[in-house]
Amino acid sequence: MGASGSMVLEARDVWKEFTEGSTTVTVLRGASLSLARGEITALEGPSGSGKTTLLTILGCMLTPSSGTLEIEGIPVDLRSRRALPEFRKRSIGFVFQQFNLFPSLTAYENVIYALQLKGTRGEAARREADRVLDAVGLSERKTFLPRDLSGGQKQRVAIARALAGRSPILLADEPTANLDSKVGAQILDLFRDLARRENRALLIVTHDPKVRAIVDRVALIHDGMISDHFETSTKTNEEILL
Amino acid sequence: MVDLAWKILLHDKTRFAITVAGVGFAVTLVFVQVGLFEGLLSNASVTIEHTRADLWVTARNTPNIDFSNSFSEMLVQRVRSVPGVERADNLIVWFAIVALPTGVKENVVVYALEDFARWGLPWSVIEGDPRDLRRGKFVMLDESARKRFGDFAVGDFREFSGRRLEIIGRTREARSFTTNPVAFMDYRVAQSLVPNELHNRATYILVKLAPGADPSAVRAEIGRRLPFNDVRSRDEWATRSRSYWTDSTGLGLNMMMTVFLGCLVGVVVVAQTLYTSAMEHIKEFATIKAIGGRDADVYRILGKQAVIAAVLGFGLGMVASLALMPVMRSIDLVLIISPKLAFGVFVGTVILCTAAALVSFRKVAGLDPALVFRS
Repeated sequence: MGASGSMVLEARDVWKEFTEGSTTVTVLRGASLSLARGEITALEGPSGSGKTTLLTILGCMLTPSSGTLEIEGIPVDLRSRRALPEFRKRSIGFVFQQFNLFPSLTAYENVIYALQLKGTRGEAARREADRVLDAVGLSERKTFLPRDLSGGQKQRVAIARALAGRSPILLADEPTANLDSKVGAQILDLFRDLARRENRALLIVTHDPKVRAIVDRVALIHDGMISDHFETSTKTNEEILL
Repeated sequence: MVDLAWKILLHDKTRFAITVAGVGFAVTLVFVQVGLFEGLLSNASVTIEHTRADLWVTARNTPNIDFSNSFSEMLVQRVRSVPGVERADNLIVWFAIVALPTGVKENVVVYALEDFARWGLPWSVIEGDPRDLRRGKFVMLDESARKRFGDFAVGDFREFSGRRLEIIGRTREARSFTTNPVAFMDYRVAQSLVPNELHNRATYILVKLAPGADPSAVRAEIGRRLPFNDVRSRDEWATRSRSYWTDSTGLGLNMMMTVFLGCLVGVVVVAQTLYTSAMEHIKEFATIKAIGGRDADVYRILGKQAVIAAVLGFGLGMVASLALMPVMRSIDLVLIISPKLAFGVFVGTVILCTAAALVSFRKVAGLDPALVFRS
């Protein structure tokens, strides 16, 4: 994983059970996953395989039934209501399938507001917002409200918002699902360039086979377990896209 | 600094306008109801407050200024002899019957003194001179009598309890809680209207204290010398006259009910619109938490929106109420919005709107940030 490949997130033996009445459903069965700086990982699996549950646990939004999580070498107390938002704020940027931009804020304000929540204000916030919007190629449209932006542009704003504040981990949930294939490909290229340039660890949860073309590693999840795990550099293009 | 609370409100201007209008309506309702109540109540004590008397001697247990009872006019001599009393005079407040040119008979509240100027009555004179009242069978009528008595002018005659009196002046702002018009006349003329009740009798003694006199000592001494009368300070007497109407009638309760309903309307409007707004923005709030915000950040947004609605609604209600003042005056109603009332309503509005936001607080409390992953 090289100099830029130090682990920033390590989840080990994660189990998650949901109980409703007398019924208990086990969604994750000892899933383990690690993310390294500057490296892009795809998490793939069929519907109901536990992708989103694992993503919410990695994103410090959900407490697992058992297992451990370390972020930047620090064990996360997954049962602490106080600690989880702090890790989200400090270490994780999210990109959502449905963008989840604030419709009443312009592109620029969406980024600034995320920075405010992370504790960055004033001139520093303005500089950082300009930097990330420039990085995603949206400087010209920063005063636009989300309703006036195309799907691809909205996703660029969402990426800028996730990048803002220099969180070492970016978690993206189906980032191309609501985009046409051309725009989806552009967004993936942008993801790849930014993750590398900014030395972030990027996890993309996806169904989209095209994602494999830009990632370093693929983790396949099935029935709550990571069933396969490979580096794309060890495969041919045909094997990757199979 | 991005203010998401404001931005969300302004993003849906129609809803925001409805919220502010709802609060404004409730504030106007409270201002008008309490203001009219205050205006009406002020009629119950307006003459007391304008009379330059430090103490009022009344017949025992007189409930308010209009419902007076008589006592010997000689008692005033005892009061005048009390050390610390600079001046004491008899006052008659009594109901008389006025025969109008139309044949209709109406009640009038008569205020009768020997020397009006000394006691500052009447305090607002449009036409005529109160000093002329002592010259004979004259009367000054308050303008508010026009509504019941029809037009009248200086030089006209009216029959008061069977005696023909000439109108020599017009006054303003002299009112009675009973809504009967107020007339000013000479003390002896008033006694002559109802001789069987008022011959050698008065209904109040007005007392002016000498400079430096101890009011409580003078009051105690008057009380000792007039054991069958009550002695009250001006403020006490004014309060008693007002309290009579609030306590002995359903007026106070009626006012409280309307204020309660006004508050309820405001709370329901704010709670309902904030709640609906919170529900519509629930995913945005989940996003706030997902990207590092806490419950407190979401509460701050909802709380701020409630306070904004309260402040703007209060402003709207205040402007509407002030605009209603001349309208009320034109129909002979007094709407009083004192700074104290305005401050109380403002604080109440902010508290109630914030309380209304608690319904939304409960809904977003512990909101699951993972909601962002659900479509």
